[in-house]
Amino acid sequence: MINDPLSVITLAPIAVGMALLILPKLVDSAEGLARASRAISMGVSLAMLAITTMVFLGEIGNVDWTNYGSGYSLTNESFLLIPSIGVSWKVGIDALSFPMVWLTTLLIPISMLVEWDAKRGHLFHPLILVMEGALIGVFVSLDMFVFYVFWELTLVPMFFLIMVWGGEDRRYASLKFFIYTFTASVVMLVGILVMYLYTPDVAGSGTITGHTFDLGVMVSSASGIPSEGLRHLVWIMLLIGFATKMPSVPVHTWLPDAHVQAPTAGSMLLAGVMLKMGAYGFLRIAVTALPESTIAFIPLLIFLGMVSLVYGAWVCMGQTNLKRMVAYSSVSHMGLIFLGIATMQPLGIAGALFMMFAHGIISPLLFAVAGAFKHHYHTLEIGSMRGIAHHSPWLAGHMMLGWMASLGLPLLAGFVAEVTILIAFWMTFGWLVLLPALTLIITAVYYLTSMQKTIFESDDPHHGILPESLHGEDPSDITWHENAGMLILGAFTVLFGILPFIFWDMMSDWSSGFMLEFLTQAMESEGVKP
Amino acid sequence: MTSLGQLDLDSETAFTLLPELVMLAGVLAIIVIPNLGDATFRLPLTRIRIPILVGGSRLESTNDPRLPNRIATLTFSVAFAASLLMIDSSSEEVGGLLRSDAFSRLFSAIFIGALLLVSAATTHRIPAKRNAAVPKDDDSENTASRKISVLMDNRRQVDFHILLIMVGLGMSLMAMSTNLFMLVVCIELASLSTYVLVAFHKEEEVGGEAGAKYFIVGSAASAVGIYGMSLLYLWAGDLALDSLATKWAEMQGLDPFAAFGIGLMMVAFGFKVSAAPFHLAAPDAYSGASSPISGLLATASKAMGFVALFRVLVMITAPDYGEESSWFLMLAIIAIITMTWGNLAALTSENPKRMLAYSSVAHAGYMLAAISVIGSGLAGEEGTKMILIAITFHLAVLVLFKLGAFLVLALLETGGRGHRMEDLHGLGRKEPLIAGSMFLFMLSLAGVPPLSGFLSKLLMVNGIVSSSADTGSSSATDVYSWMDTVDPVFWLAAAIVINSALSLFYYLRLSLVMFFEEPEKSPKIKSASSLRMAIMACSILTVLCGLGPVSEWLVSLVSTSIDSLMG
Repeated sequence: MINDPLSVITLAPIAVGMALLILPKLVDSAEGLARASRAISMGVSLAMLAITTMVFLGEIGNVDWTNYGSGYSLTNESFLLIPSIGVSWKVGIDALSFPMVWLTTLLIPISMLVEWDAKRGHLFHPLILVMEGALIGVFVSLDMFVFYVFWELTLVPMFFLIMVWGGEDRRYASLKFFIYTFTASVVMLVGILVMYLYTPDVAGSGTITGHTFDLGVMVSSASGIPSEGLRHLVWIMLLIGFATKMPSVPVHTWLPDAHVQAPTAGSMLLAGVMLKMGAYGFLRIAVTALPESTIAFIPLLIFLGMVSLVYGAWVCMGQTNLKRMVAYSSVSHMGLIFLGIATMQPLGIAGALFMMFAHGIISPLLFAVAGAFKHHYHTLEIGSMRGIAHHSPWLAGHMMLGWMASLGLPLLAGFVAEVTILIAFWMTFGWLVLLPALTLIITAVYYLTSMQKTIFESDDPHHGILPESLHGEDPSDITWHENAGMLILGAFTVLFGILPFIFWDMMSDWSSGFMLEFLTQAMESEGVKP
Repeated sequence: MTSLGQLDLDSETAFTLLPELVMLAGVLAIIVIPNLGDATFRLPLTRIRIPILVGGSRLESTNDPRLPNRIATLTFSVAFAASLLMIDSSSEEVGGLLRSDAFSRLFSAIFIGALLLVSAATTHRIPAKRNAAVPKDDDSENTASRKISVLMDNRRQVDFHILLIMVGLGMSLMAMSTNLFMLVVCIELASLSTYVLVAFHKEEEVGGEAGAKYFIVGSAASAVGIYGMSLLYLWAGDLALDSLATKWAEMQGLDPFAAFGIGLMMVAFGFKVSAAPFHLAAPDAYSGASSPISGLLATASKAMGFVALFRVLVMITAPDYGEESSWFLMLAIIAIITMTWGNLAALTSENPKRMLAYSSVAHAGYMLAAISVIGSGLAGEEGTKMILIAITFHLAVLVLFKLGAFLVLALLETGGRGHRMEDLHGLGRKEPLIAGSMFLFMLSLAGVPPLSGFLSKLLMVNGIVSSSADTGSSSATDVYSWMDTVDPVFWLAAAIVINSALSLFYYLRLSLVMFFEEPEKSPKIKSASSLRMAIMACSILTVLCGLGPVSEWLVSLVSTSIDSLMG
């Protein structure tokens, strides 16, 4: 286990989660398992967090995070899963995937904590555990086939989370979520298969097809795809898959619906980790494998990023639903990630990576706040409740912190990411930076207005103005577990705002190494000796 | 022509033909055992009575109407195990007409495996009841007709299972045939039995119509095929497959007799694999027959057609490397029309059985596309082998997920439903395990990784693309100019991919109504234990055959069998 911690943190949650889901149904005597499943799930997820934290601290595997170029750490001895077509179980992490893996292991116990009293908890918590394994699998697998399987596997628990525990319109939302992301991944699969069909024949590998799904080989041999046109086509197919997951305008419309209907924990994981899968896959596969096409399509990236950023923020101003507003702000922030990548500067890429991480902490906080609001006030309408600060000071505090972090207040995690991306953008594109910079003002506008409408604006020092959905009853204050979950997320928001270098250093190292290799490859394919 | 050899049944030959002999014994057992009675013969002038078993009233133990089903299931289990074990044994000739080698034994296993699942499903689809009551005069009309239908089901048991075993016998011998005449006779043995099986519910209107259509179109196609065979005989003077292949290789130009002969035979085989335009009877036949039988047509019967194509088209007329055969373009066009037609028609089907029928037409199109690449002459020996492995693997795993899907419909049919999309509504809530399996089958049919349907489709696409890999200019700067330079073979791969994407819509639609729509008020689905077990086995194997050691074992099995086919 110590030799191969990544396989453990991928497979153990899936195995335990599936066992907790299925065993009580099959064996009558396993009923006690159903009662204990909440505690077991929490225990397993905490153990996974402990493992990744120890990996980070160098206790397991002795990974040297201070000097990070390229290459993977903690790789296992790969073994073949489907020898006939060259699929193997191969895992590893680098500075691109590790922050995401750690973030996943952090968010899972917190989202379980926030929904500690979920209905049908004996199914809810194991399902989240399965989700954890699938998400980690996406980030650590170094085999494209396995990557794709985990990529699709993440849909299943999320689909059921929305479908079973969702709001009133859950059927529509889960169906839309499934169809959008599934269709897009099928397009992506076609792109992956074209790459696969042009991998070199590895002699003696025992495959029938003569090709391999090994991520390293596939990425490095993608330049062997005949003709620039086909390479561009593959790049576009990959982009469709990844951009839908991120999501970017114009394929973002599933996100607000899914978020509004999803249960709190589902929203937290969806915004916190699942959206980052798109950005991760884009960097890991599309950008790395086809540098030439990436450079050719930079204008497209800027366009998509800009439109997502501006449109997302603009639409936010018109939202009256709390979760919908946060969802559109996610679209807006994901636009920034595209802009960061489009700069093709180490600083911009590192900024995009940090944005992935920071947004992965802040947006779960926002959704936890929205979930608690819904839970206790039975509404998500902005402005129906005024003066939360009087009634639930803790909730008001978390809400304030989350929104401030999301609009990019200095000393909070979001600021670091935004400012580095904007600097890199200015270095590359000059005064074009005004557009994204001005959008940040829109962000401030919608957050501050909503803040005013919900937290303040009440003279009643005890109750605030309660929404009609309560029918005049007194709402309960937030529960201890909601409070604890939000406190932890808030603490990390502040921590990474003040000490960003905890993860920033490895991200910036990775970006420099990545850009060096990227430019060398791009120049070689243009016929220039670097 | 070599004489149809004498069949001396010594112990060695008997072992070579073990699965077939087991099935023959099964047929005899089904005929004899239910008729055993308690008649005795009294020795004259004594009181000693010797039981002679034939005649009298039936014994308690043989009077059970469930007996034929049990005998058939047992027969198929033994024959299935025997053929699996014989895949690795060496190739044996029997009587100059049959050869038992890895290829034929693999296909025997596929055929008999499918039949085993069918007979397990029939236990509940055409149930037999002990001590069925006879309608009385004072019964109401409903009660009387219900009692009559139970009695009819009991009476059908023997006929149904004899026919089922005859299908197995015909298919299994067909896979072993080394002579075209024997091949056609065996196909007819299997086909004639399936015609009756399709029309088995003749008292229902759809059943009778399905059987009549299937029989008329099928026998017309066979007649055309047999005419083609007679032309081949005129041309070659011999119907042994090996000598036909030699003669074809020596032929200068294209002899009209040979060309017409092969072309007409393609009509017969095209009907068996349900290739356009010979597929038109298939949806009617599938929707009129009981679901296990439809599943049999979609898997075993289709596999039989492909074995015939392998034996005749690929082994006799495959072109040398670099030469394009005369049938390449025609087969490629037929393949593309077949898959597109199948998918488009399936998109609009409201009857799940018709939908699965059209999806089976589409799958025939994918496999025909792969075969046509062999005719393009670009594949070479390696490529041909790869494509044959892909098709054979696909035919093998199709038994799991296509037949599995039909078995789920059979489960619904036990409650009198399964003919409308609405019958699947809400299945996910009422029967999560069955609906989950159906979902797996649909995903596998669509070719979603990591299920076995993906593996087989990937192998096929890979075989096609690697045949066209050396064509296509690498200096083309945009997609259009590259597409101009690539060999047309590449388009077959593109057609498969586009069609698979198209097919996702109807597979997902069927899956989604199971989970999303509110269930209709309908009687509870019967417990049907062995049918459920068959469905579970199919779904587990659908996953295992796509991933890990089981899939590896199956691929190596298929690869050995293709080695023995190609000699």
